[in-house]
Amino acid sequence: MSPYFITLIVNNQRYVLEIGNRPGGVKPSHTLAHTLRENLGLTGTKVGCNKGECGACTVLLEGKPVLSCLVLTVECDGKSITTIEGLEDSQTGKLDPIQQSFLESGAFQCGFCTPGMIMSVKALLSSSSSPTDEEIREALSGHYCRCISHYHVLEAVTRALHKSR
Amino acid sequence: MKSFQHVNVFSVEEAVSTLKDCKGSARIIAGGTDILAVLKDQILPDYPEVLVNIKTIPGLEYIREDSSGLKIGPLVKLADLVSSPVVKENLKVLAGAAQTVGTPQIRNVGTVGGNLCQDTRCWYYRYPHSIGGRLLCLRKGSGPCLAATGDNRYHAIFGGRGCFAVCPSDIAVALLALGAEIKTTGARGSRTIPVQDFFNPLGNALEPEEMILEIQVPNPPAEAKQQFLKYTIRKPIDFAIVSVAVLVVMEGEVCSEARIALGAVAPGPLRATEAEGALKGKRLDTTTLEEAAGLAVKEAKPLSMNGYKVEIARALVARALSACL
Ligand SMILES: Cc1cc2nc3c(=O)[nH]c(=O)nc-3n(C[C@@H](O)[C@@H](O)[C@H](O)COP(=O)(O)OP(=O)(O)OC[C@H]3O[C@@H](n4cnc5c(N)ncnc54)[C@H](O)[C@@H]3O)c2cc1C
Ligand code: SF4
Ligand code: FES
Ligand code: FES
Repeated sequence: MSPYFITLIVNNQRYVLEIGNRPGGVKPSHTLAHTLRENLGLTGTKVGCNKGECGACTVLLEGKPVLSCLVLTVECDGKSITTIEGLEDSQTGKLDPIQQSFLESGAFQCGFCTPGMIMSVKALLSSSSSPTDEEIREALSGHYCRCISHYHVLEAVTRALHKSR
Repeated sequence: MKSFQHVNVFSVEEAVSTLKDCKGSARIIAGGTDILAVLKDQILPDYPEVLVNIKTIPGLEYIREDSSGLKIGPLVKLADLVSSPVVKENLKVLAGAAQTVGTPQIRNVGTVGGNLCQDTRCWYYRYPHSIGGRLLCLRKGSGPCLAATGDNRYHAIFGGRGCFAVCPSDIAVALLALGAEIKTTGARGSRTIPVQDFFNPLGNALEPEEMILEIQVPNPPAEAKQQFLKYTIRKPIDFAIVSVAVLVVMEGEVCSEARIALGAVAPGPLRATEAEGALKGKRLDTTTLEEAAGLAVKEAKPLSMNGYKVEIARALVARALSACL
């Protein structure tokens, strides 16, 4: 198969990537998680289980939370992707209020699950300004935390909601 | 993941001809939430050379209402099924079933067609190749069933023949209760398969170059009450241990029609026809409901470790029916 190019818009920046089997390129079998981490150096997105069960690899694809370990990069041509690196204000370096709330609530221990959780919360708060407790739990139901920070995470979300009011 | 060729197709005809040209070495990819895990773990002896991406075919992602019922395109995402006003209003069991699938991230990507065609979750079948080598068994065409003599706590209590793996699809259970049909197209033309004929003990009725084109759900009786229940250990992520979809029509005090479909208990979703018959023409009270629930599991033949599923199925049927009163 002859190589061809795709475009990804990651955190508002355009990347043109060659698809093919050349070393250093993006193979058809590469997942978005792999490309983000290995080709683009965006290692904030974590890979835990690598098969859809833990939520650590969650990124926003066209604004919706998806598992980047179960999405092929070749299928993202022209799509817009937001990762944890894209949340801080690129001009001022100020953290997103959700990130700030996670810090203030101490809503993590090792932090491995945190980027994924924050991305799901980001999608939730972008679509709804006053989610119910049930909606918050539902939005976070695809995330596992091995260090058991779940209750602190719920507190962080409430804090972020207050900040945005 | 081992490499493969990835082909975007732009029409149904192109999808079918690509599948045909590859002579069995190609697989469809829709949302990819199931097939990518199958490929990563290399559970099957044959690894596909080509993945045919059908998401590039325009016009397969619709929910359309006409006089006979609802038509659902195969690329409709489970999240969109859940939030569709007509589905929520008329097909409560379907919205309910889709809502219980996996996690929000999986429902944002996973499709209706992929849900119906997903591979079984039998843990012997799914054992990853990278940890000591894949396990071969009857379903993979080599050797006996490992679950029959092994740990079969999540396996079939009805209708297993050779292979005791259960159908993991939640929406299949709702679609069976709703009397839905699956329209397909392939190298030998188009056909319409009722949901009860779609699944077989080793998979489904599709030919290698055949794909799902549409799910057709007839209008349920206007007064029908519907309920989907799924028993799992954890609320999100888990596959059903048992699920049930029921539909009940009352005429005054008596039941004029009842449909009961059980999930995760057999190679496909299963209608409990004897229990349905026992409800017809009856007043529904605790005694009739308990009697029907008992009949729903009367023919169960549990394996060495899954007798508990019989009790769960019985209880779920009774609960789902009483929720319809
Ligand atoms: C952690 C986890 C939890 C899950 N929990 C549940 C659950 O609780 N309940 C449940 O039902 N499912 C569950 N799933 C399975 C989930 O993969 C499916 O629900 C999803 O709908 C599959 O859709 P897809 O589009 O991603 O399928 P894909 O992975 O793209 O395809 C799956 C299979 O279907 C075939 N296929 C796809 N579309 C068509 C078509 N139109 N015609 C013919 N063949 C086609 C593919 O070739 C492939 O063999 C879970 C998955 C994960 C990873
Ligand atoms: S239940 Fe089916 S898939 Fe599982 S080990 Fe037995 S034959 Fe294989
Ligand atoms: S790494 Fe993707 S869900 Fe676990
Ligand atoms: S903080 Fe360690 S996994 Fe969540």
